[in-house]
Amino acid sequence: MTTLSPNVFKSELKPIWCPGCGDYGVVQALYRALSAIGRPPHEVAFISGIGCSSRIPGYSTAYGFNTVHGRALPVAQGVKMANPDLLVLVAGGDGDGFSIGGGHVPHAIRRNMDLTYLVMDNQVYGLTKGQLSPTSPRGLETVTSVYGSFEQPINPLLTVLSAGAGFVAQGTPADMPGLATLVEEAIRYPGFAFINVQSPCVTYGEDDQQLRAHKTRMKSLDSVGHDPSNFMQALEKSTQYGTELYTGVFYRNPNPPKSYDVLVRERQETLKPAAVPRERMLDMFLQK
Amino acid sequence: MATKGIDFAKLNLRDALDLAVLIEEEARDRYEELAEQLEVHHTPAAAVFFRKMVRVEEIHRSELEKRREQLFGKSPVMVSRAAIFDIEAPEYDVVRASMTPFEALEAAMKSEVKAHDFFAAVVPRVSDPEVKKLFEELRLEEVEHQQWLKVEMQKTPAVKDVPGDQSDGPNEQ
Ligand SMILES: Cc1ncc(C[n+]2csc(CCOP(=O)(O)OP(=O)(O)O)c2C)c(N)n1
Ligand code: SF4
Repeated sequence: MTTLSPNVFKSELKPIWCPGCGDYGVVQALYRALSAIGRPPHEVAFISGIGCSSRIPGYSTAYGFNTVHGRALPVAQGVKMANPDLLVLVAGGDGDGFSIGGGHVPHAIRRNMDLTYLVMDNQVYGLTKGQLSPTSPRGLETVTSVYGSFEQPINPLLTVLSAGAGFVAQGTPADMPGLATLVEEAIRYPGFAFINVQSPCVTYGEDDQQLRAHKTRMKSLDSVGHDPSNFMQALEKSTQYGTELYTGVFYRNPNPPKSYDVLVRERQETLKPAAVPRERMLDMFLQK
Repeated sequence: MATKGIDFAKLNLRDALDLAVLIEEEARDRYEELAEQLEVHHTPAAAVFFRKMVRVEEIHRSELEKRREQLFGKSPVMVSRAAIFDIEAPEYDVVRASMTPFEALEAAMKSEVKAHDFFAAVVPRVSDPEVKKLFEELRLEEVEHQQWLKVEMQKTPAVKDVPGDQSDGPNEQ
């Protein structure tokens, strides 16, 4: 296998994220992970929704599609079905994935296509200038919650675990090499893989959510003796979302089931001998 | 500031030189990235200084690379960029839209201090006397760089940006 430099995945387009935005570290981690995987850019498709974080495919030389707000997962699943050989990455913000796109998440998980989904969780809507998002903590003051939010935040880790995701991890660009390793592991997992990336918004985010704070708060799951093959332990650790900043793999299914794209291929192969030849397909509809 | 998988007790001179090259390369690339961020966000004066740092780090990198080639030729490099993170490279969160040149100098100073502390911390862990000598030399170079930055800071108005004053957010979509 030829090794590819991370720079092979860097496009000519210059990111326009605010200086200091966490997403800069995320894109670097992605370049590193893709270089470690070793598949060239033309074998990778990168699909996103809409938001600051959803700009990420544009900064990569892989095929990219900056789709519609909340619709990254349906489009990505379509891409994977049309060309199962592609390595498909999906990305977006916590708003894109858990509010407008929230309905797609459990279904994409139970369908279990071989995709890697990265949510850049900054606890606000960044692109539209700092409104409440589904992961905003209770009490957060924003332009849409001037006196503080009343709402209970969604816990992305618990949400995807309870929907049955086979690979669930969390990282931060404060530990960019660690994040790169997680992305690599997620790509190698043969099924739906989810990474919650705590990616700070420097412009609208809270001080205690910035990279500097992450550096002191982050705690690797390895260091607390977590066993990623233990689902119940993963559930227990993930309930601490919002209080502890755990990094690493929460859960990796030790016996991954066949992914949807593999099952579809297998079924195509079994049905092939009995399939009506293409030139006789119309006969089924013609009365003879 | 971190390294991964490097056993300093067993580090030989060739790998130590390659590591030093990579540290300068990481710093050069990061200054370039940060300069781009500032250029896009209409902060040219701080960006000009970061561009200068790109050239400075490239000079250091190429000097070390030359030395490595003189001693060991073009034999394969055994250490990778994945083994280091933020050794001399300024951290991603040091930049802000509308930061001043003085603040850019402060960020560079922090990075030089960080690099100095890195070499100071690893020297006692190294066994090879030549590697020890190299890292000690690099540590002293970081002191020189700090001195150069101090002089630059004295020549630059000590103006700081007011946070949140001119936030230059992303474009809406
Ligand atoms: C259908 C639709 N509704 C609303 C919007 C406006 N909109 C754009 S991005 C966004 C939310 C962005 O937040 P998030 O997905 O968390 O990403 P971030 O910008 O924080 O990375 C919204 C509401 C839109 N573009 N399309
Ligand atoms: S608004 Fe926030 S999320 Fe968007 S680019 Fe700026 S810092 Fe990043």
